[in-house]
Amino acid sequence: MSAVVAAALRFALVALVLAFLLVPDAFAPLLAPFAPPGGAAIYDRASLLALTVSHLLIVVAAIVPAVAISVGLAILVSRPIGAEFLPLSRAIVNIGQTFPPVAVLALAVPVVGFGAWPTLIALFLYGLLPVFENALAGLTGVPPAVAEAARGSGMTGPQRLLQVELPLALPVILEGVRISLVIALSTATIGSTVAAKGLGEVIIAGLNSNNLAFVLQGGLLTGALAVILYDGLGQVARLTARRG
Amino acid sequence: MIRIEGLTKEYAGKAVVRDVTMAIESGTVTVIVGTSGSGKSTFLRMVNRLVEPTAGTVEIDGVDTRRMKAHELRRRIGYAIQDHGLFPHWTVARNIATVPRLLGWPRARIAARVRELLELLQLDPDEIAPRYPHQLSGGQQQRVGVARALAARPDMLLMDEPFGALDPVIRAKAQDDLKAIQERLGSTILLVTHDMSEAIKLGDRIAVMSEGRVEQFAPPADILTRPASAVVESLVGEEDRPFRYLSLLPIAPLVEPGTAEGPPIGTGHSLRDALAEMIWSGRQALPVVDDEGAACGRVTRGALLSAGRPPR
Repeated sequence: MSAVVAAALRFALVALVLAFLLVPDAFAPLLAPFAPPGGAAIYDRASLLALTVSHLLIVVAAIVPAVAISVGLAILVSRPIGAEFLPLSRAIVNIGQTFPPVAVLALAVPVVGFGAWPTLIALFLYGLLPVFENALAGLTGVPPAVAEAARGSGMTGPQRLLQVELPLALPVILEGVRISLVIALSTATIGSTVAAKGLGEVIIAGLNSNNLAFVLQGGLLTGALAVILYDGLGQVARLTARRG
Repeated sequence: MIRIEGLTKEYAGKAVVRDVTMAIESGTVTVIVGTSGSGKSTFLRMVNRLVEPTAGTVEIDGVDTRRMKAHELRRRIGYAIQDHGLFPHWTVARNIATVPRLLGWPRARIAARVRELLELLQLDPDEIAPRYPHQLSGGQQQRVGVARALAARPDMLLMDEPFGALDPVIRAKAQDDLKAIQERLGSTILLVTHDMSEAIKLGDRIAVMSEGRVEQFAPPADILTRPASAVVESLVGEEDRPFRYLSLLPIAPLVEPGTAEGPPIGTGHSLRDALAEMIWSGRQALPVVDDEGAACGRVTRGALLSAGRPPR
């Protein structure tokens, strides 16, 4: 029963977001009370659909390499030959996490200029830690008897990694990706301060022109996307873990 | 034939296994028994090079194991461990197929072998093969672990406390089954346990280990009647010794002509079984029947008790 309700809610949320992106004007009456007198209720300086797509692309473009590098690093330091690099790798990904994204933007702009690049760098650095720590926990958390059986049955190192360790760690790794993705989705809004195309543009325009309707639609869209992605990846993680 | 010469393992200068030399005949069961920390598991794990020896050699059929790649050696040696170590993300069939797949057997041959092994271990292939390990009982998991170790018809089987996680009833059944399978397949087994009863029940020869050394390497009856050291004697247990000795002796040689009251006992049972039955049913003698159920005489309490006092 609860599964049916969850599926219905999921479908309703996706439908609502799609409807808003495709025919935003239909929602104007709902948002009009929040717009200043004479101001537009729906952001009109760019297509909301285009901004959303661009927002998602920046997030994906930052998180895909972050996942690849974090998982690669976790694989390296969980091997005997890479164990020495564990403290160093931890330090690097921790710095990425503790460095405020706003500061990354400020430092990156003079180097790479305005646009999507500073945001990409900030999101990439910010996304490393959750995936790295989860991948490491998953790879080193293989039950000792299972690890022993894998060695004892004559699997080579790469065979153990691909056939046993990674499949067993996958649900935990996906959980890390989920966290990184949601953080990146919300953090990407500040990228608009340095001219990255995204939903932050709508929020900032709303703040500048005192238009609460803009702030609301930018914020709610970002939030709804985060919920949909978080939930979707959760479903994938459940599928991979079901057999374990 | 497995020849072990001067096998030694040191960690940071401290010897865990010291200079063990032993020859294991093909088709026999050798049990290494010892308390925890005696080095028995380390010794076992040096045979398939999960632990690299500090010194000494292991030869299988005349080939020094150091001349093989470690993973290729392990594919030739079955390995079963206490917590079964089944791969939780694979079905039973896939688990059993582990080594044949590593060896690149054709698909049909693997499927046939998996089926054969499940039947050998009294598991219904259609019901059990598609299940995941967590859907099995402890006893079933242990049997699948043994099936996986046997899958690629290994030269020998290493078993590290294979029944350690089982409750006593299932454990006794698992030991009987292993014995039956070993006799049927003629496998060479090297098994580690801390339980002397298990060692006596399963072993053709027993190696008693203490502080990294083999104290005695002998058939079970010799371990019981002629313990080589105080350590061996303490492991045998003075109060259990006569019963353990009786458990090694078959009824057949004590059968005498005559009759007795009550339900009969088969010649295949041990004298310990016969004594237990006499005590419990309050009888002085039991009628004995052969494998076909034909009466062949009786065994008396007096004969049994004097047989339980070994010559010394």
